[in-house]
Amino acid sequence: PELPVLERNNWLIYLLYVRQDYDECKALIKEQLQESHGLCEYAIYVQALILRLEGKIQESLELFQTCSILNPRSADNLKQVARSLFLLGKHKAAIEVYNEAAKVDEKDWEISHNLGVCYMYLKHFNKAQDQLNHALELNRHDLTYMMLGKIHLLEGETDKAIEVYKKAVEFSPENTDILTTLGLLYLQRGDYQKAFEHLGNALTYDPGNYKATLAAGSMMQAHGDFDVALSKYKVVASMVPESPPLWNNIGMCFFGKKKYVAAISCLKRATYLAPFDWKILYNLGLVHLTMQQYASAFHFLSAAINLQPKMGELYMLLAVALTNLEDVENAKLSYEQAVALDKCNPLVNLNYAVLLYNQGDKKGALCQYQEMEKKVQAAKESSSLEFDPEMVEVAQKMGAALQVGESLVWTKTSKESKSKQRAAPSGKSSSAQQPLGSNQALGQAMSSAAGYGKTMQLPPGAGASAPLAKPPSLPLEPESGPETSPEETSAPTAAE
Amino acid sequence: RCGGPAGEMGLEVEPLFQAWSYFRRRKFRECSDLCSQLLERPPGEQEQTDSEYTVFQAAWSLKTRALTEMVYVDEIDMDEEGIAEMMLDENAIAQVARPGTSLKLPGTSQGAGPSPAVRPVTQSGRPITGFVRPCTQSGRPSTMEQALKTPRTALTARPITSASGRYVRLGTASMLTNPGGPFINLSRLNLAKYAQKPKLAKALFEYIFHHENDVKNALDLAALATEHAQFKDWWWKVQVGKCYYRLGLYREAEKQFKSALKQQDMVDTILYLAKVYLRLDQPVTALNLFKQGLDRFPGEVALICGIARIHEEMNNISSAAEYYKDVLKQDNTHVEAIACIGSNHFYSDQPETALRFYRRLLQMGVYNCQLFNNLGLCCFYAQQYDMTLSSFERALFLAENEEETADVWYNLGHVAVGIGDLNLAYQCFKLTLVNNNDYAEAYNNLAVLEMRKGHIEQARALLQTASSLAPHMYEPHFNFAVLSEKVGDLQRSYTAARKSEEAFPGHVDTQQLIKQLKQHFAML
Repeated sequence: PELPVLERNNWLIYLLYVRQDYDECKALIKEQLQESHGLCEYAIYVQALILRLEGKIQESLELFQTCSILNPRSADNLKQVARSLFLLGKHKAAIEVYNEAAKVDEKDWEISHNLGVCYMYLKHFNKAQDQLNHALELNRHDLTYMMLGKIHLLEGETDKAIEVYKKAVEFSPENTDILTTLGLLYLQRGDYQKAFEHLGNALTYDPGNYKATLAAGSMMQAHGDFDVALSKYKVVASMVPESPPLWNNIGMCFFGKKKYVAAISCLKRATYLAPFDWKILYNLGLVHLTMQQYASAFHFLSAAINLQPKMGELYMLLAVALTNLEDVENAKLSYEQAVALDKCNPLVNLNYAVLLYNQGDKKGALCQYQEMEKKVQAAKESSSLEFDPEMVEVAQKMGAALQVGESLVWTKTSKESKSKQRAAPSGKSSSAQQPLGSNQALGQAMSSAAGYGKTMQLPPGAGASAPLAKPPSLPLEPESGPETSPEETSAPTAAE
Repeated sequence: RCGGPAGEMGLEVEPLFQAWSYFRRRKFRECSDLCSQLLERPPGEQEQTDSEYTVFQAAWSLKTRALTEMVYVDEIDMDEEGIAEMMLDENAIAQVARPGTSLKLPGTSQGAGPSPAVRPVTQSGRPITGFVRPCTQSGRPSTMEQALKTPRTALTARPITSASGRYVRLGTASMLTNPGGPFINLSRLNLAKYAQKPKLAKALFEYIFHHENDVKNALDLAALATEHAQFKDWWWKVQVGKCYYRLGLYREAEKQFKSALKQQDMVDTILYLAKVYLRLDQPVTALNLFKQGLDRFPGEVALICGIARIHEEMNNISSAAEYYKDVLKQDNTHVEAIACIGSNHFYSDQPETALRFYRRLLQMGVYNCQLFNNLGLCCFYAQQYDMTLSSFERALFLAENEEETADVWYNLGHVAVGIGDLNLAYQCFKLTLVNNNDYAEAYNNLAVLEMRKGHIEQARALLQTASSLAPHMYEPHFNFAVLSEKVGDLQRSYTAARKSEEAFPGHVDTQQLIKQLKQHFAML
């Protein structure tokens, strides 16, 4: 009789594997291996692939190693061994094996791509870029583009990343991941038009895309279309009911619509789910300031500062809360910190000036006022933009008041009239004794933020706290990992 | 001590009368002592009466009752399943019941309760309850091995034993209080004689059942007595049923209870019968029974409460809350209902309302560690900052054991996270672990803090500890998966993510992670 052919059933194994009929495939492989005494390379190979699909990487690695012993000249086997090593997190070993594979087969894009990814994990970004570019030259692929873009982002070069993603979109215009990422990058740069375009495209291809919906919603929010944004969020809310960014954005939508209580409950749910997210705490502080609940506002803002100490606006809001809690000393300290940290937001200085002015320190107030003017000047030069009209108004009044102070004609009546004027617009009771509360400016800035629609292109610099109050929305890197990890929450344990 | 042996005060009080009076005022120790003195007198002394019962018998009976009352625990609330009952007992008829008709498949009913992301769970998906009863079951182990491996208090309110051995221990413990040895030597009693005298028999039965925990003798006596009463006394039927229930003969017990119900409608009997049905895993039958009972006793709190408990056990939290509200309409000081509704409100984003419920408990004079712990949490999440820390302080002060202290420190850690003071939070969670070394949640949260500091190795170790301590919690699994994925170890990430999915199937982030990992595995 004829000798048994080793590779006799390969076609059937392949067919079963491709049909994802893994149980039957395994049975056949077992049979085949028994018949051939473990020499059938393809059977082992497919067995390893199946094991890998089941998540048993270690076992699959051993089988692939067997394969490469059976057939040492095959680049495929080496590639698979390296791939298994990569999946196990042994990147250096994987690189070595890939290099060997590259010696056998030089024209393979996968080897270059995977080498690039391995280098990325080892933080050798230059080598990784070289390899990925090489892979692109050999054969263009979505994944390679994504990885390259990721590396640029990791190195902090947004512009280069955008270029890469642009090419990727040209190459495969229907990949929603790429579209979304590009949209988010544009959003980060403040290029709303293009961002909207790309996110819209992504949503057309995949209407339930969580990331794109969130980003699009936050853009609408930035332009004041709160109802539209809410309806967008409603679509995702049923799919992702426990997402902190989503609840944060919903909360800020309600805030924009002046439904403060609803806003607070949404934001509190968000912070319950993500206790380490300073943006949610910031928003909570802001809402409580608007509600004139200064103790809670202080609480949330100080928590936010603990988690994110390098932000001027946070200190400014904290100072506003402190002013209302009648702790002027600490408010001053907080303002000092804010001024030191902040570079481009004139509102900080304005609020500080108001406080100093109320304390009778006209010199310091003047100093801060001039500081503010400098910032405004700088902002004006950098681009043509409109300032928050109410902020401008307060600033003008402040200027007038200060000039009066300089010319030494300062009477009590005029101060009172001033404070009256200032107190009125924010809807507070216009009691004469009330000093012109520094939070008025803030309240106005926020109310203007609510009715934002008119001033379409308000850049982050001038829009006072408004754009910041806007959603933190989506982080570019996929959800910053363990930080957003769910916290166990305490149980009111049995009250017997 | 107002009483003392009679005669000391100069004013001679009839000793039997005095004993009886002690008994009515629930001074069982004094009553028992006095009865002992009476019984020590020579028996022939008071043989002058011609009635059916002598003074001797009266004192004897009174002493049995006093001794019983000292250790009496209501049989309805005594429901403990040991490991053997959970594993080896196959009383349920349907092995694979339809969803929503069985207590053994938690998480299958479509109750709109909060998800595990919001409300912590006990074993395998049963949300943590607001009120722990002795018969609280929270999920059951699937194999003997698993039952032995899990912490002993994970499934019931008390440390679990091999086969409800607590009854036995109750009996022996009470024996120690009797210095002169056991009061009645059961083996020497002629039960048939006592069964003839119903007035003695009832007290004796209760003594045998509750004090001595000798179910077999109790059953003998009950059988003889019910025969003597010509099966016309519902009380004896219920007692026979109780004995059968203890012995594990549920169907026989059901028969007795049903026949007792036919004779006389009693709330007690309904509750016993429902207990039998629950043990047979027939919650729907129990619910129907309760509803019939409510027709006969409209507004009976125990029945409504029973309905609510069943709903809660079947994870149908929203309708459980409805029934608990009905309970409160009848009895606005019902601790269990208040606590359950309170915790329910807390976990559905209404800490303010929860705070009101817990404050109600405080007003009623409840004063323990758990309550102040809950009050502190509610105050913090309802932004009542002035009351928060003082409540926790008091909870720490009132904590009776180290587990409770650990609970309080754990919650203080959450407060510290809430104010952003991560160092304080770190210390709090550490203190939790010092007090209770098996606190999986604290391990998890410590790991998260370590991760924020960038100590990856520590975080991994802590997460591994957490997930081995509490395999039913999804958080450590998920965190471990995310961490491993970041480092690039996709195999471990995948195994951990699978476990997380098992613990909380609806978790979106886990599903996304698994999808991503599968892509990695499938890709060349």
